[in-house]
Amino acid sequence: MPARSAQEPPAGELLAKPGLLELFLGMQQVALSSFGGGLSAWSERIVVEERRWMDDEAFITGLTVARLLPGPNQINMAIYIGSRFHGLSGALVALAGMLLLPFSLLMLLGLGYYYLHEALAVDRLLAGVITASAGMAMSMGFKIAGSYSRDPVALLLAALSFLAMTVLHVRLIPLVLVAGPLAMAWYWPRRRPQP
Amino acid sequence: MSALMAAVCTPMPMGDWRHLLAVIWDFLSLSLFSLGGGNTLLTEYHYLAVDKYCWLSSRQFADIYALAEAAPGPSSMIVGLLGMGAAVREGPLWGVLSGLAAEVAILLPSTLLMVAASLSWNRLRDSPVRVAFERGLGPITLGILFAVGLKILRISDHDTPAYAVSAVVCVLMLRTKISPLWFMAVAGLLGWMGVVNH
Repeated sequence: MPARSAQEPPAGELLAKPGLLELFLGMQQVALSSFGGGLSAWSERIVVEERRWMDDEAFITGLTVARLLPGPNQINMAIYIGSRFHGLSGALVALAGMLLLPFSLLMLLGLGYYYLHEALAVDRLLAGVITASAGMAMSMGFKIAGSYSRDPVALLLAALSFLAMTVLHVRLIPLVLVAGPLAMAWYWPRRRPQP
Repeated sequence: MSALMAAVCTPMPMGDWRHLLAVIWDFLSLSLFSLGGGNTLLTEYHYLAVDKYCWLSSRQFADIYALAEAAPGPSSMIVGLLGMGAAVREGPLWGVLSGLAAEVAILLPSTLLMVAASLSWNRLRDSPVRVAFERGLGPITLGILFAVGLKILRISDHDTPAYAVSAVVCVLMLRTKISPLWFMAVAGLLGWMGVVNH
């Protein structure tokens, strides 16, 4: 956590809400800082600590919404920050700030891959990188599996979804459309009977 | 098996606008189903790009997945690379435009929903729909994530050393806070030295 200098306003005091350009530049700073991961930690540091656009509570609420709703978490977080200040246009500007440079770079890398991969013999390098990516993809399931270990219904739902996709080759959309409402009905919060 | 698939599978020409609309619709409709941060869509991306539209071989899909993971920025931008793969035969400009179109299509619906949810969160927070959605969709997401992990493992690893590297990376991801970039760098070196092969 960076030390605060005397010129900065005291902790907890929010600065004026950012304009569209500031929003764009702030999100771009987040995107550039987070090379190599830790995106949500960087966006907390920049948005809450350095630029003082929102307090920690609002930021953490944003993380909750971003994880809950469909869409990539980091991208949803940018949308939350942008829409808080300027609605839809703020969301689009924040999104553009977060994606413009990384996406441009990725397009260049993509052209390099599609046109040059044979000439440059990057295949062998990628063959190695892929094994690490596969391990990372596997770890994502294990990461959240622990939180369901005491709920047999949840484990059954997870196992059935897994088998439906791997053994029966059910596509994702029909799976979610059938299993989603059933699971929601099971977990619908019940009102406790009045004593 | 992939050679057999390639023999019966020919890429559809992207010049036909009805075909183009069908592709855009595929990405638009997947957008709202990207639970758990977007990785859940990878098996669908593989199905679209390799099996349904034949833009890429399974091997190329694994390559661009690794590329998207290693490049800075959200790894869900792999959709841009898929879109590029669909049209790159027509030239680099079409490749980039197609990549941009695919990325916009996959992000647009979830973006609009996220804006609506951000602006009305105070009302949504305590609603039973929110509680049931969070608790009900969580376990389904878990099952999908394992299915996705297995799929990526199958298309990526073809010999014992490769499976061993994946297993070690998986354990280290769970037990340590080492940056994933290190895993990719070391694994890339192993590939370059010929320890792991496609």
